[in-house]
Amino acid sequence: MSLLPTPRRTRATDRADAERLPPRAGEVIDRRRTVGFRWNGTPYTGHPGDTIVSALAAAGERVFSRSYKYHRPRGLLTASYLDPGCVVQVGDEPNVRGAHRLLAEGMDVRSQNTWPSLRFDVRAVNGLASRFLATGFYYKTFIKPEVLWPAYEKVLRTFVHAGEVPPDSAPGVYDKRYAHPDVVVAGGGPAGMAAAVAAARSGATVMLVEEEHQLGGHLRWGGPAELARLAELRAQVAAEPAIEVLTDAVVGARFDDNGIPIVARGVPGIDERLVKARAGVLVVAPGLVERPYVFAGNDLPGVVLSTAVRRLVNLHAVRPGRRAVVLSANPEGDAAVGDLESAGVEVAEVVDARRGESVRAAHGRSGLRVVELGDGRRVEADLLVTAVGWTAPTSLLNQSGDRPVYEPRAARFVPDPTRMPENVLAAGGIVGDGDVDALVEHADAVGREAARRAGRSASAAVAVPALPVADHPELFSAGTGGFVDFSEDVSAKDITTAAAEGYDSVELVKRYTTATMGPAQGKLETVNTVAVLAAATGRTIAETGTTTWRPMWAPVTLGALAGRSHEPVRYSPMQPWHERHGAVPLIAGQWIRPEHYGDPAGEVTAVRTGVGIIDVTPLGKLDLRGPDVASLLDLLYVNRWSTLGVGKVRYGVMCAEDGVVMDDGVTGRLGEDHYLMSTTSSGAATVWEWVENWLQTAHPEWRVHVTPVTTAYASTNIAGPRSRELLGRLTDVDLDPERFGYMQVRTGRVAGVDGCVLWRIGFTGELSYEVHVPAGYGLHVWEQLMAAGADLGVRPFGVEAQRVLRLEKGHAIVGQDTDGLTQGFSAGLDGLIKLDKDDFVGLPELRWQRERDTAPRLVGLRPLDGMVVPPEASQILDRAGGIAGRVTSSRMSPTLGRSIGLAQLDRELAEVGTRVTIRLPDGRDVTAEVTSPVHVDPEGARLRV
Amino acid sequence: MSEQTAVARSPIAPAAPTVRHGWEVDATVTVGPLTLSDETPLAKVSVRAPFDGAARRALGVRYGRTGRVDLGGEGVLIAGAGPGEWLVLGAPGTGAALVASLEELLAGTGEFTSVLDLTHGRALVRLEGAAAPRVLAGVCAIDLADAVTPDGTALRTSVAAVVTDVVRDDRAGVRSYLLHGERSSGQYLADSLLEAGAGAGLEVTGFRGLG
Repeated sequence: MSLLPTPRRTRATDRADAERLPPRAGEVIDRRRTVGFRWNGTPYTGHPGDTIVSALAAAGERVFSRSYKYHRPRGLLTASYLDPGCVVQVGDEPNVRGAHRLLAEGMDVRSQNTWPSLRFDVRAVNGLASRFLATGFYYKTFIKPEVLWPAYEKVLRTFVHAGEVPPDSAPGVYDKRYAHPDVVVAGGGPAGMAAAVAAARSGATVMLVEEEHQLGGHLRWGGPAELARLAELRAQVAAEPAIEVLTDAVVGARFDDNGIPIVARGVPGIDERLVKARAGVLVVAPGLVERPYVFAGNDLPGVVLSTAVRRLVNLHAVRPGRRAVVLSANPEGDAAVGDLESAGVEVAEVVDARRGESVRAAHGRSGLRVVELGDGRRVEADLLVTAVGWTAPTSLLNQSGDRPVYEPRAARFVPDPTRMPENVLAAGGIVGDGDVDALVEHADAVGREAARRAGRSASAAVAVPALPVADHPELFSAGTGGFVDFSEDVSAKDITTAAAEGYDSVELVKRYTTATMGPAQGKLETVNTVAVLAAATGRTIAETGTTTWRPMWAPVTLGALAGRSHEPVRYSPMQPWHERHGAVPLIAGQWIRPEHYGDPAGEVTAVRTGVGIIDVTPLGKLDLRGPDVASLLDLLYVNRWSTLGVGKVRYGVMCAEDGVVMDDGVTGRLGEDHYLMSTTSSGAATVWEWVENWLQTAHPEWRVHVTPVTTAYASTNIAGPRSRELLGRLTDVDLDPERFGYMQVRTGRVAGVDGCVLWRIGFTGELSYEVHVPAGYGLHVWEQLMAAGADLGVRPFGVEAQRVLRLEKGHAIVGQDTDGLTQGFSAGLDGLIKLDKDDFVGLPELRWQRERDTAPRLVGLRPLDGMVVPPEASQILDRAGGIAGRVTSSRMSPTLGRSIGLAQLDRELAEVGTRVTIRLPDGRDVTAEVTSPVHVDPEGARLRV
Repeated sequence: MSEQTAVARSPIAPAAPTVRHGWEVDATVTVGPLTLSDETPLAKVSVRAPFDGAARRALGVRYGRTGRVDLGGEGVLIAGAGPGEWLVLGAPGTGAALVASLEELLAGTGEFTSVLDLTHGRALVRLEGAAAPRVLAGVCAIDLADAVTPDGTALRTSVAAVVTDVVRDDRAGVRSYLLHGERSSGQYLADSLLEAGAGAGLEVTGFRGLG
């Protein structure tokens, strides 16, 4: 005959509150309202303030997941953020901490990776095959053959009990902000609250961070005295405007100089926010984490920690079982007995570890049925509560340089205050034990000292009272097996086997077994791992030491790390016009540019036959002033600049020290000591840095000021045989070719706008003027050009037409027709590079390149079949079938009615007239003839009209 | 050659466009406690000179600080936002006059200096209100506490991943920041600030001027 009540078989809606207790003094649920949700497809209800799991527990559910390797049923253990048995999927969100996440209306909650159901999971067969999943099995199995690794990966993935992110999931909303509080207090229990209040009262700004949804720590599930003290401390916190409280937030780590990432949830409209805090002083006050006990069957649903019972009963008014055995070694366990009795739970046995009594094992299939005591008795129970000790979660202190020491008298590690940096303090249970008054007194002093160290108080150092640790029996393992790491399914046997195999260092054991590597990040597991290993190796716990506590305190979502997306976007002043006129946008770095306006070939033809205008605002522009500008230009460009007269512009190419082409552009001399340099659009920032670098490091004596003015000017290129006619209608500048010739610059008024810079250049191969107007008037001038040229058939043209036009003209684009290895003579710059200059950047390398004369050359290409346009990057083959080059630019030329291209080609194939083979991406070969790079107007007559 | 009346435009699109001082500005008027205004029409002149020499003394503003002075009869704000680099803000349309005044002022220093009107090359917004630091904290890593960046601070940093001069220029005791960056990112910068300030009730208001 069983003493346990038979579970009722009722509809879920009938049992919504089957285990719900009458109102409790400290409960956090709102009984006036209900919240509907689904659990594995079945509708349930709970109350606001319930966690997912407390609502399910109130409905009588006891199994919430299956374990990592063996798919064993798992239930509540800690009823907190750390609970390894309560990780669930909520909608599209995987790996939700169900014992912490608050219930919300309409939640679709499911167990993770259970099939066909949580109750009957076929993968539980893994338990039968556990000998094949031995310690470090992934180092021993699935190794060969390597070709099957992808298959292994797929199979193993199906067994992992993680959740999933459906491909069609809506993106989350993640935020990031910075904070610079004087003091960050990690932990909002009584010590954390008291420290925060004291620091604030001393003049410090404070960020008080609490993992739970309310401040209060263990006071929340205490008796009337604790609740009264809780109310008092909360009121003190609320009265301090200098305290910013973050609940449902986790201090993730402590980096140098108190760089402290805090992940906060529960912010309206935001899934998660990463607060990047830089604190003057960090006060670590996380309290203590109750430690599980290692014994056979310790993972059965129904085996819980005393704090879990106290939370369930007092915060959520949930009866955690019907018949309980309590293993207690401390007052918290004793208090749990009282809570159980007040909740109507039959306490069948109190096993007092302080008197040497013990529990050997727990038995049951999908839940606890029998507890086997140390004296051999077997007690029927559906609840086994353990209260065997505490772990000080010192990871933030470890990350600060502290090395906590093991205190056998208290059975836990405690911080070593002598090793903590000046800007880190610890308060509360992590330091020592005491009643609330003692904790608050200690934390009050710590808070005042934190404010002082943060520079907010001129007082002398605060005397922080001692907070001694209390005696506690050392209870880690019953020696009967059981799990050490519930998240990773690592058993005590796994630890001892690892030690037997030679992995006797705790760091090696961690990596070999994966103990402490799960979502709880060692806070439940580390000390037990160390203790089991110590027993297996015959060493003490102190000798064994702990693993390294690294960031983060808890797993962090990638979304939280990424935060709000900051991707700067740059627009020309003419962008509104482009958008109104159907421009197809091209993303060019940060710039949004018109690729074309629907007919790029037509745009090319308009420029060749009439006039077109293109927005070239993104062209980099640097204003250069000073008497040594010419020297600077001579140093940075491969050609000569000292001879450039006022009113002239010149094309120049910059090479790096290795002779590789890095940028090009034209520079105009506007005055005796005043130049305007243009760069490629993508190279503007790089060239600015390059120029400043040479000025500041190589020639600080030169008097040159460089100012980036890329967006000070809106730039428009007016191109085509009728461009002079169009521009002449809007400017007072004399455009007569005798007085404003090719490669010259003028300043003047355009469309009523003063201060415009006009230079006559020809990237498109046509008569053209590049007009740079003060940017605020860019749209105005553009609109005036379009209006004034209506009768001339003026058309806007985009980047694609410009690419075709310059390709027809044989003008290379740096970065497209060159790459990171293309030296000057491979870029068709033979006539430009002045090796007879005294010096310029890249000169030695370029001399050597000329002497070798073996480098690839930039050539023109024309496929014999003029209708074939080889894709750019197509390979060019030599006669032996090897790679001899590549197509760098390739388009159908509207002007010539055939395909044309540019290529980088081996020297021996670069002679004009040579026929080469181009291998297309689809594997076909086509034949092309090497030509001059200039396909249209090789004499340049169209430029100089 | 035909003549047209040219209207200058900011990179930040106005909600209710109107023309003042030859610039298209936003006519929106907001009285809320937290506002963002487009101040791009202000004249913006760059001065380059030795970090700490006669020109610096003539300008009266050191690196990292601001000062309000009278220059050629115009009240201007000078911000030492970069080493050896000053930004001079004046009323709309005064750029050329400011350049002339500054060149005259600096001519006597004997130092190598340059003065450049960047009015059209830069975007300028003002974020004002007690909650302004909270808005900025969403997009800028700088400590905005009084002890670190008091009124009159000028610095160059990243705001929403854009290089920006942040100039604290409180008005009537109310926190106020001028944010100055290159023009083409102006709309993006304004949008980023509005997004960061949405939860704090940030509202757009029209051009205010140096005030």
